[in-house]
Amino acid sequence: MANLRIEHLNKRYGAATVLNDVSLSIEAGEFVVLVGPSGCGKSTLLRMIAGLDGASSGDIHIAGRLVNTLAPAERGIAMVFQSYALYPHMDVRKNMTFGLKFTGVPPAERKRRVAEAARMLRLEDLLERYPRDLSGGQRQRVAIGRAIVREPAVFLFDEPLSNLDAALRVSTRVEIARLHRMLKATIVYVTHDQVEAMTLADRIVVMNKGRLEQVGKPLDLYYAPANLFVAGFIGSPAMNFFEAKVESVEGGRARVTGAGFRNLDLPATALKVGDALTVGVRPEHLAQGTTGPFVAEGVVELVERLGESSFAHVRRADDRLFVAEVRGRETPTPGERMTLIAAAQDVHVFDASGLRVS
Amino acid sequence: MPEPVSQIVAQMPRGKRAGLLLLFLGPAVAIYSLFSIYPLIATMALSTYTSDPSGARHFVGLANFETLLGNSLWSKPFWNALGNNLIFFTVHMCVQNPIGIALAGLLSLPGLKLKGLYRTVMFLPTMLSVVIVGFSWNLILSPLWGVASGALKAVGLGSLFAPWLGLESSALVTLSLISVWQFVGIPMMLIYAALLNIPEELIDAARVDGLGHFRIFFHIKLPLILPTISLISVLTFVANFNAFDLIYSVKGALAGPNFSTDILGTFFYRTFFGNQLQLGNPTMGAAVATVMFFIILVGVCLYLFLVQRRIRRYAL
Amino acid sequence: MTIEQRARSVGVHLVLVAYSALAVGPLLLVVMNSFKTRSAIFGAPLAPPDAATFSLVGYEKVFRASNILTYFSNSLIVTLVSMALVLLLGAMAAWALTEYRFRGSTVLALFLSIGIMVPIRLGSVAILNMMRSAGLNDTLTALILIYVAQGLPMAIFILSEFIQQIPTDLRDAARCDGVPETRIFLEVIAPLLRPAIATVAVFTIVPIWNDLWFPLILTSSDSTHTVTLGVQQFLGQYITDWNSVLAALSMAILPVVVIYVILSRQLIAGLTSGAVK
Repeated sequence: MANLRIEHLNKRYGAATVLNDVSLSIEAGEFVVLVGPSGCGKSTLLRMIAGLDGASSGDIHIAGRLVNTLAPAERGIAMVFQSYALYPHMDVRKNMTFGLKFTGVPPAERKRRVAEAARMLRLEDLLERYPRDLSGGQRQRVAIGRAIVREPAVFLFDEPLSNLDAALRVSTRVEIARLHRMLKATIVYVTHDQVEAMTLADRIVVMNKGRLEQVGKPLDLYYAPANLFVAGFIGSPAMNFFEAKVESVEGGRARVTGAGFRNLDLPATALKVGDALTVGVRPEHLAQGTTGPFVAEGVVELVERLGESSFAHVRRADDRLFVAEVRGRETPTPGERMTLIAAAQDVHVFDASGLRVS
Repeated sequence: MPEPVSQIVAQMPRGKRAGLLLLFLGPAVAIYSLFSIYPLIATMALSTYTSDPSGARHFVGLANFETLLGNSLWSKPFWNALGNNLIFFTVHMCVQNPIGIALAGLLSLPGLKLKGLYRTVMFLPTMLSVVIVGFSWNLILSPLWGVASGALKAVGLGSLFAPWLGLESSALVTLSLISVWQFVGIPMMLIYAALLNIPEELIDAARVDGLGHFRIFFHIKLPLILPTISLISVLTFVANFNAFDLIYSVKGALAGPNFSTDILGTFFYRTFFGNQLQLGNPTMGAAVATVMFFIILVGVCLYLFLVQRRIRRYAL
Repeated sequence: MTIEQRARSVGVHLVLVAYSALAVGPLLLVVMNSFKTRSAIFGAPLAPPDAATFSLVGYEKVFRASNILTYFSNSLIVTLVSMALVLLLGAMAAWALTEYRFRGSTVLALFLSIGIMVPIRLGSVAILNMMRSAGLNDTLTALILIYVAQGLPMAIFILSEFIQQIPTDLRDAARCDGVPETRIFLEVIAPLLRPAIATVAVFTIVPIWNDLWFPLILTSSDSTHTVTLGVQQFLGQYITDWNSVLAALSMAILPVVVIYVILSRQLIAGLTSGAVK
């Protein structure tokens, strides 16, 4: 398995810039997930790594080789497509070996690789079937099998689970994680689903409008989002945001006020009076209580009960809603006043431009 | 998948339904049956009669067909026309369809500039009347004008030139090529549409698999457009065996030189209407038409039963 | 090289340009030379007309010696009326077949689709007899009836496909409101068929305008000739008069080209979307 290095990659279509100065370094054997909303450029980036689209500028190195001008087949990559892209007029076995024939792999070797991949993916009984006779999950496995037999340096996955139903998605996710461990493969995986990102990735790359917002381990992104976008994107349900302002600064500490929460006391560092801030707290970090570094209050509007945990939607003073997780059988009732507290380390503060304030 | 039939309609009273059907379907079915189906059947019926000089008709069963196929006065020109028609068809299958497929393949390359312009221009000849096409080419190839001979001389192939349209040996093939020139647009457009239908991801997968563009065309695209190709083949067959206009407008009803460009359509016309060499013979004309109908029917049935069943439409 | 590079490669464009030249060249040649004097036609056939060689003598002859304007109006009448009838009757039939299913509807659909494959010309003997006995020989009406019969199967086929895509809910909603069936057809369904009109038009108009066979068989007098037949006979008659011949050809070419260029996008879109079915 090999590493992947992307340097200052740019892609423009006419006047629109789809990828803006993207640089990324991926270690051998790492499972990296590119995640972000539609149009953020993640699929474009993947296609460029694959060589299906050319970049406007920038370099891509795979396993130490500069691959900018190489065709997809020469880069040592294999790709699993969103719609599986299986050749409808070939059976499963042919689908998997077709590409190998043209890259000069001898018949005996082809046979061995197919048998190996079929065993790994439990496809042995399906080798003679045609794609139209397979279920969605089976087709997905064949698509993965087709990638495995290429024995590539890097695996590329383009939203492979979005065409599957919910239950299948979970089991296939587990399958992919298992394969990653078994093959010790370097994987670049694109999805818009942050749950997939959190569960599968060694590192997550959050993208937005052609830029990298943050790159890091899943829990790092969860506990220490670098900006407003990442904070709101990672975690479900999403983080609550409170608009706030610096009221006064003295003695190295700043007083921050805003609608829906009692005054917050922060270490001052670079804050000035009048600075606009956004304060973020995750629903799961809000607990019932009356005193703490951060206290939010409001009237319960709606409670969604999911069993052990429930989500209370609370309307605060500025008429906006925030969500708090409540555990246990006792749940608040709509109309009730609630006071919720959060620990200091669970309060995230972002400045006017959306960047984290340390 | 067609939409399920509306429940309201399903529960309509019979009389009302019948009335609606009559109103909506009646005119179309009437005109179609009267002017399309009935004449065919009437012609086939007519072919079993002959007319004598007084104009009276006598039922003779299949005698007309025996004459057509057995009597050398009739059978020689008939088989000649049939053979020529086969040559006409073969030229189309070997030249028109491959060129159409190749052009469609080029046009469907992603990112091709000026695609619309090429398509518009290349489809233009198909829009024109066959009369125009035939005559224009007649002029261009004419030794009197010298355009064709001049063009060949300019590339050093002047010796190749001959009055192809006037020579017995080359007239039919030349006319076939002119027809190909005119109608390439149709297979081109149909195959282009079919190629567009192939999902982009399939092509991407093939590129990742290591296939170059030619291989992608032959191993991936071609098998998937085979249904369209076979449809085009049968349409070509029907059109070619029904052809008439081009030959008539370039060579007239006699389809010279020396009947070398005579195909079934012109043979039918001559038999039916007559010309300076013979009187019109409606009953024999009907017989010729019936034979033509069965030839076309055989071709279509072969297509429907052999090809349609074997070739699968892959769900893409 | 990437597929984008290949698409831009010189080779591809060379082939396409060459073939385009082959497609358009002969027509350009004819039209160009129709505006030249006879000596210029023969002397320098490939040169465009300039001030010295420009001449309209061919066109004058065409207008004088033939009823080209009558032919044009005949063709226009026949084509437009046929297309209108094909669209109306075809839409009605397609609607009835799709919506008011009944026991024999598949058989009827099959019956109608025979016309797509089987050439109507083969019944000409009987058609001529019918027209003669109906007194319709040598009339535009005869042509119109034939062309409508010829164009209906394909139109019904294409329109059925379109109608099937209109959601049932739309039709039922109107029925729940108590709207009578004919109004539903005219005001709900018909407007939705507009995209299909381009497709049907392509398959209907072009063969009718360009048809030689039926005008040849059914119209005997000059005043009922269509453009295609008229030009063909003019050409046959004045075959040595190159100016006139080229002018007649150009006059037959130009209207079609102009309309085609204007409508090309709709035409091609219609063809590719209909053909896919």
